[in-house]
Amino acid sequence: MHLPTREQSGVLIVSVSGRIDHIASEEFTKALDPLLANCVPGQPPLLLDFSGVEYISSAGLRVLMIASRRAKGQRGVFAIAALQPLVQEVFAISRFNLIMPCYVSLDAACKVLGA
Amino acid sequence: MKRLPGTALLRAGRGLALPILLLLSAALALENIEATPLASLRNAQFDRYQRQMPRQRDNEPVIVVGIDSQSLSAHGQWPWSRELLAELTKKILAGQPLALGIDIVFAEPDRYSPGILGEKLAGLPRNILAKLPEPDNVFAEALGDGPTVLAVVGLANPLPGSRPPHKPLALLAGGDLARQPIARFPSAVVSRPMLEKAASGEGFINASPDALRSSSERGVLRRVPTLAFIDQQPFLPLSLEMLRLALGSEGQTVPEFGRHGMSGLRIGDYRLPTQGNGDLLIHYGKASSHYYLSAADVLAGVHAPEIFRSRFVILGFNSTGLQDSIVTPLGEIVPGVDIHVQVIESMLSGAALQRPYWLPRLELAALLLGGLLLIVAVPALRPRLAVLSYSGLATLLIGGGYLAFYSGQWLFDGPSLSLLLSPVFVSLLGSTLIEADAKRRQAERELQDSREAAARTAGELDAARRIQMGLLPDPQALFAEENRFAVAALLEPALAVGGDYYDCFMLDEDRLCVVIGDVSGKGIPASLFMAISKTLTGTLTRLESDLGQAIRDVERELNRENPEYLFVTAFVAVLDAASGQLNFVCAGHDAPLLVRRGTISKVATQTHGGPPLCATDSYPYRADQMQLEPGDLLCLFTDGVTEASDGQSLFGGERLAAALLRHREKAPPDLLAALRDDVRDFEAGHPAADDLTLLMLNYCGQPAKTAKNGAL
Repeated sequence: MHLPTREQSGVLIVSVSGRIDHIASEEFTKALDPLLANCVPGQPPLLLDFSGVEYISSAGLRVLMIASRRAKGQRGVFAIAALQPLVQEVFAISRFNLIMPCYVSLDAACKVLGA
Repeated sequence: MKRLPGTALLRAGRGLALPILLLLSAALALENIEATPLASLRNAQFDRYQRQMPRQRDNEPVIVVGIDSQSLSAHGQWPWSRELLAELTKKILAGQPLALGIDIVFAEPDRYSPGILGEKLAGLPRNILAKLPEPDNVFAEALGDGPTVLAVVGLANPLPGSRPPHKPLALLAGGDLARQPIARFPSAVVSRPMLEKAASGEGFINASPDALRSSSERGVLRRVPTLAFIDQQPFLPLSLEMLRLALGSEGQTVPEFGRHGMSGLRIGDYRLPTQGNGDLLIHYGKASSHYYLSAADVLAGVHAPEIFRSRFVILGFNSTGLQDSIVTPLGEIVPGVDIHVQVIESMLSGAALQRPYWLPRLELAALLLGGLLLIVAVPALRPRLAVLSYSGLATLLIGGGYLAFYSGQWLFDGPSLSLLLSPVFVSLLGSTLIEADAKRRQAERELQDSREAAARTAGELDAARRIQMGLLPDPQALFAEENRFAVAALLEPALAVGGDYYDCFMLDEDRLCVVIGDVSGKGIPASLFMAISKTLTGTLTRLESDLGQAIRDVERELNRENPEYLFVTAFVAVLDAASGQLNFVCAGHDAPLLVRRGTISKVATQTHGGPPLCATDSYPYRADQMQLEPGDLLCLFTDGVTEASDGQSLFGGERLAAALLRHREKAPPDLLAALRDDVRDFEAGHPAADDLTLLMLNYCGQPAKTAKNGAL
């Protein structure tokens, strides 16, 4: 899985796209790994742009959960933004908004994280 | 395993290095074939051509008068008296032959000469003896009566008594002639001067001065010189000198030279092709005894003199004790004198074996071309075809050799070429076979690996499935006697994923606990996690009356050892069957649907609902309450239902709600089956990605009342 990154107002934005089902979740884990290694204090906060994600399964959620735990363990900042309605619903049902910071849009996220 | 194109080229190159090296070695061996055992093979093949296609001997232009055993017994031991030889010569010349060649050198005086006899026998009167005719003069007189040729033997080193012959060939002495690679002798053994003077010509009888230099030749005589220099003067061999004499003034002798030495010898209208050094490669005819006459018979006048008319006659030895035997390429043993016969016949018919300077080059070109063909073709062909290609090439080379001999007596060495190409072919075939074998092994290994992996996965999934299915209770058996509520449940596992579960049990007389859960992940880890979750939920809800606290305890216990970071979404509810009071906790799970008096709604989980169990370290889960009315139907489900896909869209909550409404009148087990069928119909053959789990709870109220849906 290719994860294009760009930096905007001091935030490292990672564009995620496609369906994150059981099969894609393994690649998603691998692609996310080097980015998470840099998610430490002193480095820019890591923000996942989910505007291109159409679907996420429980395996995909698990990847996010593990990533979130790791970032927390390193005291890095890890967040997610711009969920599509279907993914938003999954997040709502599973209450993943309680596990990691979720923002409506990239701008909203950058305003908070970039400060 | 993928390989870079460069690596493949390198591999191919490595496979070709050995064949190319072998081909170059083969070319080197061909260039120096005389130093290799192949020389024997080559000679054997050239001899085989002759044996299978000998020169035809249609007529017999030569007669050999042989001094044989019969002659020796009739006229005494050799050497005979020169007078006897003079008589023999006269008898032959009387028949007017084309020429008479004498294959004998008379270097010493006749031992019967009166002078010698007088010295040896002291009693004889010397003055009388001196008046007797000298036998050599008598013989010389006889020789002068016709076209006669005496033999000379060229010597590589001068011997006592040796001297150059008197009658050299009249050639146009060109400046070039001295530089040509023609056989040269500093001196010779020749007959006595009066005999030389009397004879018409002299010819050498050296057969191939360099023929026996290697043991592999085994004394086979394949070549004779057609021109030689003795003390700087040119001479013909005895046979050709006879021919030249027979032609008289028309017998102009012209050796032909090209850039690669001598190419042929012309005498009058006759011509023989030669090797660069003037050697003739004799194309032998089969040996015959027809033209051999006994000297004794000739002396006795048995044959009429006319038998010699217009024929060449050679006087030579044909006796077991005297003759020099020659082995011919045809495998026959003939008297040395027979070579002169073969040469005369060859000259008359222009027959000679041909191996000009360019033939070895042609062979080298054929070798390199054939080798390159193999190098290109063999790796590209299947082994069977590769073998055929080599066999075809060898057949072409050997067959070509026979065809060349048949059409013009060209000596082309097909077998050596085939043999020299065989190491190239074997190494190519070897690497092709090794490559094929390696590929086959690789394919087998990969097949085996994939089988093992499939078996492992199947075994693991099977184990996971059995753990999962073995833990599920059968609600209809459990609550067969119950009339306050009805429970039905269904779990259909997907092929690859196993992590769903449900549970239903009585906490006490009145309180029913129902659970539905979905573990993230798959395989054994998910199954075990599910088993632990189910057991902990069952135990802790019994111990702890506060459902929220019970679930917090469950999460704490699960989190103690969770190396895989699995989590589980769950909906846990406790129904007080007496009051209809429902306590529930939702941990990241889909809100169940409630069918009440024909309308459908979601159970309100938003208030206290939390994330999935183990998604965080310790979430403060709290229980919600709601009141069920008799006839209420609660539908618990997992995402295997709502996320069932037909390849384009998902089944979704709305389709589920609609289906539930449509089938709500049915008894829970039938209702479950109908919902399941709706989902499967929607999927239309697409394989399920996740387990499909449904649990129906129908609250009937107090036993006094009869609920229309409660009949079980």
